[in-house]
Amino acid sequence: MEAGLLAIGKGLAYGLAAIGPGIGIGIVAGKAVEAMARQPEMAGRLQTTMFIGVAFTEALALLGFVLTFLLG
Amino acid sequence: MANAANPMELLPEKITELVHELSVLPYDNMHHEGPVTGPFVLTNYVVWGLIALATVMVLMIVVSSREKKQMALAAQSGDVRALAPANRLVSVIEAGVEFIRDMAVDVIGQKDGPKYVPLLGTFFFLILTSNIFGLIPGGKSIGGAVGGTVALALIAWLVFVWVGFTKNGFIGYFKSLIPSGVRAMPLAARIGLGGYIFLLEFVSTFFIRPLTLAVRLFANLYAGHIILGVFSAFVVIFMQRITAGGLAVGAVSLLFLIIMYAFELFVAFIQAYVFTILTAVYIQSSVHASEH
Repeated sequence: MEAGLLAIGKGLAYGLAAIGPGIGIGIVAGKAVEAMARQPEMAGRLQTTMFIGVAFTEALALLGFVLTFLLG
Repeated sequence: MANAANPMELLPEKITELVHELSVLPYDNMHHEGPVTGPFVLTNYVVWGLIALATVMVLMIVVSSREKKQMALAAQSGDVRALAPANRLVSVIEAGVEFIRDMAVDVIGQKDGPKYVPLLGTFFFLILTSNIFGLIPGGKSIGGAVGGTVALALIAWLVFVWVGFTKNGFIGYFKSLIPSGVRAMPLAARIGLGGYIFLLEFVSTFFIRPLTLAVRLFANLYAGHIILGVFSAFVVIFMQRITAGGLAVGAVSLLFLIIMYAFELFVAFIQAYVFTILTAVYIQSSVHASEH
């Protein structure tokens, strides 16, 4: 019983933590593509900025991923 | 084994095996019970990390000593053709170094950037080489174990905190955590809002930054290794069943495994890049702390 609840909790911890960053990374990448299409000559710098933005957004999902292991 | 009623029943056993293989073990004993906890054990991750380090060092020393010789030759004879890269490997390394230098100048700035190229270059090439070694079956990447990534993140953390303190002074660095706009506000707002922002920025700079730097690298690589392992297990389990359905599922898994392997090669590069550029961004925020 307890092991089953723990497994459900682990799944929920990571699953819920992934929702926000998933949407966030989608917005970051989408906007970056939009900006690159408007100004292709800025593509290099936009890409760098996009990766930094993605890395910061991703951090929240990663905390959830680690929590999954900590729960076990 | 092969005639088990349901092939999926074999999966949990394979997963346990996989997690065991990915854990930190002594390099000469794969069947060691559980992960190593003792401090002075030569583990598989340490051995593979040292191999990656040695590879990067040898490559860089050989290429740079040749470049120096060719530069002297070109200066002496005036023949610029001596400066051309000798072969493909040299051009790749030159392009990589140039990539890091451009990134450092771009992010940190024209004046302070070049000083940090050796550090950023070491991070980039070491992590990239190690990640690629981690994709060799049986190989291990530094990023595949928490200890390795925490060590790398601690080095980055020490550097940017050290730069922050030496560039801005002890009090100045803490003061710079509060935006200049808030510092110009009336006293009550300065204490209330400033204190709140200071708390957030303090936790973010000194705890969250190194933590996410370490966890990001580990989580991405560990997840990648697990995915590759699970699909390999699928291929092995289903290919043992000589039925049309078994073979079909096995073949699809094999195809997906190959696609994921290519994707993991991409992740190996992206994670090395992200680690390096975030270190550069953190150093930049320490160098120019008093400006915002």
